[in-house]
Amino acid sequence: MRPIEVEICLGTTCFVMGASALQNLQLPESLRAKVKISYVRCLHLCKNMDKFRKAPYARIDGEVIDEAAPEKIIQNITQKIKDIAHATN
Amino acid sequence: MFIDIACAQLKKHKQNAFGDYFLSQRIPEENRLLAVLSDGLGSGIKASILAKMTATMLLRSIAKNIEIKKAAEIMLNSLPVCKVRGISYATFSVIDCDEDGNVSVVEEGNPDFLLLRGGRVQPIEHHEIVSKTQPDRKLRTYHFKTELGDRLIFCSDGVTQAGLGNNPAYPRGFGKDGLLAKLQDALTADQTMASGDLAKFIAQSAAQVEPHSQPKDDISACVVYFRNPREALIFTGPPYDQEKDTYYAILFAEFSGKKIICGGTTANIISRELDRPVVTEPGEQSGSLPPSASMPGVDLITEGILTLTRALEYLEKGQLEEKDAAGQLVALILQTDVLHFLLGAKINQAHYDPALPIEIEIRRNIVKKIAAILGSKYFKKVNIQCI
Repeated sequence: MRPIEVEICLGTTCFVMGASALQNLQLPESLRAKVKISYVRCLHLCKNMDKFRKAPYARIDGEVIDEAAPEKIIQNITQKIKDIAHATN
Repeated sequence: MFIDIACAQLKKHKQNAFGDYFLSQRIPEENRLLAVLSDGLGSGIKASILAKMTATMLLRSIAKNIEIKKAAEIMLNSLPVCKVRGISYATFSVIDCDEDGNVSVVEEGNPDFLLLRGGRVQPIEHHEIVSKTQPDRKLRTYHFKTELGDRLIFCSDGVTQAGLGNNPAYPRGFGKDGLLAKLQDALTADQTMASGDLAKFIAQSAAQVEPHSQPKDDISACVVYFRNPREALIFTGPPYDQEKDTYYAILFAEFSGKKIICGGTTANIISRELDRPVVTEPGEQSGSLPPSASMPGVDLITEGILTLTRALEYLEKGQLEEKDAAGQLVALILQTDVLHFLLGAKINQAHYDPALPIEIEIRRNIVKKIAAILGSKYFKKVNIQCI
């Protein structure tokens, strides 16, 4: 199975709104092998203020996650893994 | 030529104020640099105040283009003479030079300065002017032209007289000969040694000659080095006109000195235009700032506003050893003589959302403040191009 791709935005807005706590995101042991985390300079979401006013942002397999916090990210990853398992069964 | 100037000082043992004073000023529009080293009579607070007065008054006079000879003469006539010792309160060396290598020096009472060319001392002619009112006071004036690679070494008598009467190896003190030997050692090891390092080395060498390395007088060493400038370019902020992204990315890529990007969006624009990937690796050094990143051909990539703000703070407080992204930026800046900013004028509205928990300044203001402190405190030349 290909790993789930998590991109965490470390742009200025996201950083001050909470991404600083995502810099060393620790995933539960069971998820680590299934996930690839990368950090990006900026996802360019915050500049579109009408749509995106909920920094910090992360992107998980292309899906934008607002107000990204460790629990929310882990929850989403777990869900994605379940969906993939479900689809392949 | 770029003029790299620095001064290192050590206090007389057990004193809590420097009795020597060094002051320097760049006049960028004239490519000119002025500096004064003054040694106040005695030591401690009294000497400190007098040296400061002398240096400040002289620097202001020559900055206002009062002829160096005349300014020094005015000082000489106005400096009070110590009642006890019958000699004047503060000696001085005044340096007025430009980037074409034209140098004027006026000395009164300080040890003669040295001109080093290719590791050897170059003799220079001087004229002596005797003060009209105080015939025992003599000004030495020099006018000459320096070449690329030349160094001028100025010091207070705390350097030349170090160890006097206390060190059998230097019966007449550290002296000009002791100083020269040390200078040659240092410059043989590193021909292009920066002025700051050399000045520190001279001051420490002089102190080491003293018993227990405790200076018996205030020690000051000033080095002026004429060399090719080391340049760096900081690209921060997206260009106002998006159509010009390509143009500025190429300008950045073709710059010959060190290259720095401050800003996530800016890094992405350059990455896109030059087709080079940006890699961000949060490490232990990242701390409370977004971590630095890397891109082939770029020396440093950091986040924008927060990092620049922190870098300004470090420069203001003199915290120059920090390891986070702002610390890395400061370290790179301090290795250069001429710093260019490509300052993108586009603003990210989201940074000014009142919901953001900290005060985020406008990029332009931060850069202006950084430029000001680099000029005044770190003697750097800074150019800002708004794009």
